[in-house]
Amino acid sequence: MSETSTFEPKIIAYVCNWCTYLGADLAGTTRLEYPANVRIVRLPCTGRIDFNLLVKAFEIGADAVLVSGCHPGDCHYTAGNYHARRRWILFRELLDTVGFDLRRIHFTWISAAEGRKWQQEVTRITEETRQLGPYRDLYHKNGSKRPGLPVAPPKPVPSAKPSMQAQEQQLRESCRKLLADGTVKVVIGYGAEGPVFIRRAEDVDKLVWNANCLSNLTAYLKRKEIKRLGKAAVVVKGCDERALVILEKEYQVDRPNQRVIGMACDGMDEPKCATCEVHTPRFADEVIGESAAQSASPSANALDALMQLSPAERMSWWAEQFERCVKCYACRQVCPLCYCERCIADKNRPVAIDTSATPEGNFAWHITRAFHLAGRCIGCGECARACPEGIPLNLLNMTLAKAAEKHFGYRAGMDPKVEPLIGTYALTDKEDFIR
Amino acid sequence: MSEILSKDALRKLAAEWLTQGKVVAGPVEEKPGLVLYGQLASPESLCLEGFIHPANSAKEFVFPRHERLCSYRLEGNRVELADGGAEIPAQILLGVRPCDAAALPILDHVFNWDYQDEAYNRRRQATTVVTLACAAYDDSCFCTSVGLGPQAERGSDVMLFDLGGEYEVRCLTDKGRALFAGKTQTSEKTAPAVTGPEVKFQPEHIRQFVNEQFTSPFWQDETLACLGCGACAYNCPTCHCFDIVDEGNTRHGERVRNWDSCQFVQFTVHASGHNPRPDQGARQRQRVLHKFSIYPQKFNEILCTGCGNCTRNCPEGQGLLTLLTGIERAL
Repeated sequence: MSETSTFEPKIIAYVCNWCTYLGADLAGTTRLEYPANVRIVRLPCTGRIDFNLLVKAFEIGADAVLVSGCHPGDCHYTAGNYHARRRWILFRELLDTVGFDLRRIHFTWISAAEGRKWQQEVTRITEETRQLGPYRDLYHKNGSKRPGLPVAPPKPVPSAKPSMQAQEQQLRESCRKLLADGTVKVVIGYGAEGPVFIRRAEDVDKLVWNANCLSNLTAYLKRKEIKRLGKAAVVVKGCDERALVILEKEYQVDRPNQRVIGMACDGMDEPKCATCEVHTPRFADEVIGESAAQSASPSANALDALMQLSPAERMSWWAEQFERCVKCYACRQVCPLCYCERCIADKNRPVAIDTSATPEGNFAWHITRAFHLAGRCIGCGECARACPEGIPLNLLNMTLAKAAEKHFGYRAGMDPKVEPLIGTYALTDKEDFIR
Repeated sequence: MSEILSKDALRKLAAEWLTQGKVVAGPVEEKPGLVLYGQLASPESLCLEGFIHPANSAKEFVFPRHERLCSYRLEGNRVELADGGAEIPAQILLGVRPCDAAALPILDHVFNWDYQDEAYNRRRQATTVVTLACAAYDDSCFCTSVGLGPQAERGSDVMLFDLGGEYEVRCLTDKGRALFAGKTQTSEKTAPAVTGPEVKFQPEHIRQFVNEQFTSPFWQDETLACLGCGACAYNCPTCHCFDIVDEGNTRHGERVRNWDSCQFVQFTVHASGHNPRPDQGARQRQRVLHKFSIYPQKFNEILCTGCGNCTRNCPEGQGLLTLLTGIERAL
């Protein structure tokens, strides 16, 4: 084919200043020849390579990306490459779900002494990419609208179960006491029309407990408007409570100063409830009611259906989904774990993520949002519930949760004793994808 | 006597418009339970029944979420500047709600006040609005409280009324007549008047309250549930704030305008770090103030058509109506 004969792949290499860059330099000074298709971007350490840069490389026309740093144990900063390795393990899975072609994303360890390895790797990657041809699938919609992924049947109109009414009474009584004796200044709970913030004992009858109590109220703990009301009690379900475990681990809640009222829950008829394992909150100061629900075994879900598609089809599917995104950031605002005072999406000196609701801006935002929650997302699904345009954002988070469990046996918010997944590393982290 | 058009004939007509190269936009069922205004690929995707209001608004078609204003390219010492505007094809908004149609003449004021906004006007002039009158409403609807109603004609070029198997067609402007001329039959059937939602507040009360009770603790107390996203503003037919940003690199790029929302912290933050609207109470108050006091004062129009999209889209079930009925109660 004429095209493959004239096609010269563009490869962007993000390399560590201390090892791979010097390795490439050595290749040059020892006159080792390698294809001129690689453009090197030198960075202080693989641990400092923002994952957005990988995506950005494809946006500006790369056909393949190489990330390369020091061999384990050789990091100039002791452990930067270990941190990078752990992030890559997770990030690859996210890119796979979004539909990037993993054959075009390469990771290597190349030391300052390995000029020959640099030559070999660059030659190999160039040849492999030449075989694959130009990368044209990026953010590409293939036009034929695919049938939707399996979705949960419409929810029946929820009716309060008798036990829920009893729980509601007990909840009100408990909150009445907490407010009357001054234990807390405010109760963050569910009301008939959304969340309520009860500050007087006589108002506790505004609290409700029924199958509409979907919100994860721990999202309010980050709000300064709520913080200034004084010590709060928050009403949580078992699933919501997992967020508190993370927030405490990340120094965002002062647990001894935080009253937690747990509601035993049989499920709210949401898809996530079918596989719930924490029907009864485990760390609450008090738990109201008892759950009779059994955890069902995970059934085929939308993520499995998505992963049946080819990467190009997956990207097309996401491109169709993200096309609806208007960047209202409801996904971010309802998330209990998105608590940054200034989100990276709001940074404008320089702009990290395009504010435009274009394919580039939307992919960048949703990849970033999901990855910032890697090893942190507790799967409450609020992002997808909040999205006015019905984008199943939780699938991105589910991917990362699944990857965290598969590779590290880690489940966010389940065990307060376990150290956070990102921010730590193990010498044994797998590296079968790194050459 | 009235003009009628069968439901099938309307779809055929839409197909005809599409073959003429016109853009036809209307409610589309994106997935079960989610209807959004979108550009029609074929008339089959048009969804005119079985929902109250699409989750978004039709403003997208005159004021898109992302619009290129101009682009630049640097080559050596040469700078090439190009206009942002591609040719706008004639577009027909088909089956929009009266509350979406009414928003257009309201928006015309602000886009043609001291500056004639070319980007907006080009789209607006290319647009014909074919409105489908409402036959039902839900708890979020409050058009009657802002002077509109389920059959309000404001902003429409044509009104359609569902008669069961066909639509009654009332052409209101020449633009509308041009679309339907010779397509309809005369009939004895006419659409009965329908009642809209009960009146839930008086706009005058809101205006008074927001001006007189600017510092009231009401704003803080009643907005605690607001998490500060833009789901209300971005799906509102009348919210029109935007941000102009430059995107690109040292070789080429674009100046674009993107939607913005007064509910974001970033919206008013100064370079110094000071934020004159420091909390969500102040930001929500601003939204009410703009809609019920500032805009009416300037343009003699309430900047709200009562579509209820703010409530329907609020992840926490809040929305403008929660505040407005709260004000009515607080008076």
